[in-house]
Amino acid sequence: MYFVADVKENECAKYNCKQCVLFCPEPNCLNFKASTNSAWVWYDKCKGCEICVYVCSDLLKRNCVEMVMVTPKATAKS
Amino acid sequence: MGLEYVKISPGFEKYMPRDYVDLVKFGPFGKKVDVMQLGQFKELVEDHPMCAGCYMAYFIRIFYTALPNPEDTIVIGTAGCARLSLSQAAVPFVYGNYGDTNAVASGLKRALSIRFPDKHKDVVVIAGDGGLIDIGFGMTMHSWFRKEKFTTIMVDNEVYGNTGGQESGMSPKGVQLKMAPLGKKFDKINAVELAKVAGCVYVARLSPTNPKRIAKTVRRAILAARHFGPTFIHAYTSCNIEYSIPTREVLADARNREKKDFKFYEWMTDEVKEFLEEVERKEREEVKR
Repeated sequence: MYFVADVKENECAKYNCKQCVLFCPEPNCLNFKASTNSAWVWYDKCKGCEICVYVCSDLLKRNCVEMVMVTPKATAKS
Repeated sequence: MGLEYVKISPGFEKYMPRDYVDLVKFGPFGKKVDVMQLGQFKELVEDHPMCAGCYMAYFIRIFYTALPNPEDTIVIGTAGCARLSLSQAAVPFVYGNYGDTNAVASGLKRALSIRFPDKHKDVVVIAGDGGLIDIGFGMTMHSWFRKEKFTTIMVDNEVYGNTGGQESGMSPKGVQLKMAPLGKKFDKINAVELAKVAGCVYVARLSPTNPKRIAKTVRRAILAARHFGPTFIHAYTSCNIEYSIPTREVLADARNREKKDFKFYEWMTDEVKEFLEEVERKEREEVKR
């Protein structure tokens, strides 16, 4: 069980910002899907540093990224 | 290491790791990628063992996206945190002994310019404050005095992070670290001014708060090094472990330091300025077309 970031895709699609993707220190962890116009997290790569949460909630006040607890089983599916 | 080099022989795709297949299919080889396209292509740098929330890892991620020509680039690193992710990228990486990165780079750059006189092979040194300004000080300085044509990037975390937190020449005055409990008694070395005096043609200091600006600075430094001489970037990349910064506050810390001693600073000689303006004007015209 560990903490990873998760994007609320419906909320995120309202904005056209991508700032969380641009400030994540991990390569290809936060990605951007053009079809839904939202960011998404590759759970296996996320180290849970919460910089995306800082960018989205503290800097931009949009609250589209949250931290969730996942089990290894759930991540294996993604 | 271009696209032709990494391509998978037909029939072997299903045996290759997913990351490798992604790199061939969606990687940036042969295309021009912009830092604003991050998250929509497979990046050159792969999963690495650097700490959660490490902003050195972030700087290196942007650095690999900003390379003007990743196929013809060789990166040189040394002991320290940076090599942990530098060695995980699809760009050739040479591991210099501690302190001799700039000497290795000098020889490599000269050899490459003899072997490939018709194209530009970029050599980039990325090392920490220990590798460049403490232990490698002599070799760094002498490569600048000799006007070797490559880029030196210092990822400055202000501490020896790998070995438990000893103070380095770049630690700020008065700071107490785990293995330096009395506090540092001397000032932080002014690396940017040293580089200017030693003969660098392009010098920049930045804090990683603006990906577009990091990319532009890295690009400029590499392009200027191709024709004119040594270039230097001093980047603040905090160590959130040794300086006990909560990972969520890492970007806030970088923004904070930018307001104080890591204000964006860029200096270049007149001929470099003329050259870069010309290059950037042509690029803008290409984009318009």
